[in-house]
Amino acid sequence: MLQTAFNGVVTGVIMALPALAVTLLFGVLKFPNFAVGAMMTVAAYLAFALNAQLGWPLAAATVAAAVAMGALCIGIDQLTFRPLRERGAITLMVASLGLGFILENVARFAYGNTARSFAIELARPFRFADVRMNHEQMITIAVSSAAMIAMWVLLTRLPMGRAMRAVADNPSLALVRGIESPRVIRWTWFLAGVLLALGGVLIGMDRALEPPMGSNYLISVFGAAILGGLGSPLGAFVGALVIGVVSELSTLVIAPNYRIGIPLLAIAVILVFRPQGLFGQPYIRR
Amino acid sequence: MSNILRVTALHAGYGAGDILKGVDLELAAGSILTIIGPNGSGKSTLAKTLAGLLPARAGTIELDGRSLNGLGAPKRVLAGISYVPQEYNVFRNLTVLENLKIAREFMGANGKAARGRDDGLEELFPELPKHYRIAAGNLSGGQRQMLAFACALAGRPKLLILDEPSAGLSPILTREVFERVERVNRSGVSILMIEQNAIEALRISQSCVVLNGGRVRACASAREVLGMKDLNSIYLGDASNRI
Repeated sequence: MLQTAFNGVVTGVIMALPALAVTLLFGVLKFPNFAVGAMMTVAAYLAFALNAQLGWPLAAATVAAAVAMGALCIGIDQLTFRPLRERGAITLMVASLGLGFILENVARFAYGNTARSFAIELARPFRFADVRMNHEQMITIAVSSAAMIAMWVLLTRLPMGRAMRAVADNPSLALVRGIESPRVIRWTWFLAGVLLALGGVLIGMDRALEPPMGSNYLISVFGAAILGGLGSPLGAFVGALVIGVVSELSTLVIAPNYRIGIPLLAIAVILVFRPQGLFGQPYIRR
Repeated sequence: MSNILRVTALHAGYGAGDILKGVDLELAAGSILTIIGPNGSGKSTLAKTLAGLLPARAGTIELDGRSLNGLGAPKRVLAGISYVPQEYNVFRNLTVLENLKIAREFMGANGKAARGRDDGLEELFPELPKHYRIAAGNLSGGQRQMLAFACALAGRPKLLILDEPSAGLSPILTREVFERVERVNRSGVSILMIEQNAIEALRISQSCVVLNGGRVRACASAREVLGMKDLNSIYLGDASNRI
């Protein structure tokens, strides 16, 4: 039970990264980006290329992949989403679905369907209060927590973070407060790219690298973001932890294959009873 | 007196038709101009077009002799225009302090230099520091209006555009808002104000423009307009009974 809950926490903190990316992008650009799964896959393979193929240490490969993914996201936005910006959320969402297929299949084309793994040394897991924790899990918790704290500092303490929240809150007021939205949008994509790259590498460490690795998490990630309240960074983190722990615990009573039903159930329940999510603001259409 | 704002033959609108159909107006530097007119006359559209939220389809907008046509809203802020919308004029999920910080960081004409400078906002709005940690969405209507007002002044604008600053406020708060408007104006900021509460607004204004059907129907000194019985009955609605 404790072991299952711990595994759930690890899954939760992994999902918190893409869930935060989803919520940041939704807040600023007002559309659900379904390409986040495939973006994680591409970033994970970028890190794999540097780590397993060029022999870089995984930490350095991850940092390089995160920066590259951030830049790639800005480029993808310019090519794919910017021309469609005025067409509304549905158009952008469909575009993101198409983009997801393309990115995932680029990864498949390059590396095939075989599962691969990073070049990391195996270490003996250690035990604490009957819970078995392996090295990768500890690294996962540390990296994800650090990323969350860094994002919190950025969003609340730095001018660009405040500007991102301002644009998410009220785009036209942000304009007349002197905030150039294209710059805010570029930063949002960059940060989302970094978060997705970290998420992709952590998933690759936790499981294995294969083309559908990112999209397998898509429902859980959206479940987490919706549960927490789309547009709320704190909500994304809490939502991810709840979904992670509850999904894992559910395997004690239902067949593990059905645990994907938990985030779906969470989405359904939250949309019926509290559409703005746990920490979100009611959506005001103007 | 020189003009801070000169608008010539301005056309703007949404969709197919124009809402503003050739608006001309001038605002003398250092004065308050009140724009009145019935609902749907294009008052708010005019404010949005001046602020750069809506593109001008024809005509020119000049601030202090410099053309603003083609500049987006953030660039106009740097040029010296500050606009307070009627509704949704604060970032509701951000705290009062964060609202002020954003205004100071992004509206200042010289960015960093403006940040450290004492802009005297806390002096003009002594009630704000008490609420620094509160989300702006949880403020009362009057407090929110004051915050919006304070934020708009952070960049030391040349021209302040207020869209119905007294909308939804009690008579006491309305008086307070107009008193602040007067104080801000005395500090050297020219003001273009849209108001339903015409009588109160005209009392602190120097000039008045009556807008109807997207065109300027009258342009006179505020005193003259306050005295015009026929104009009142047509454009001021219920307020005319009080004259």
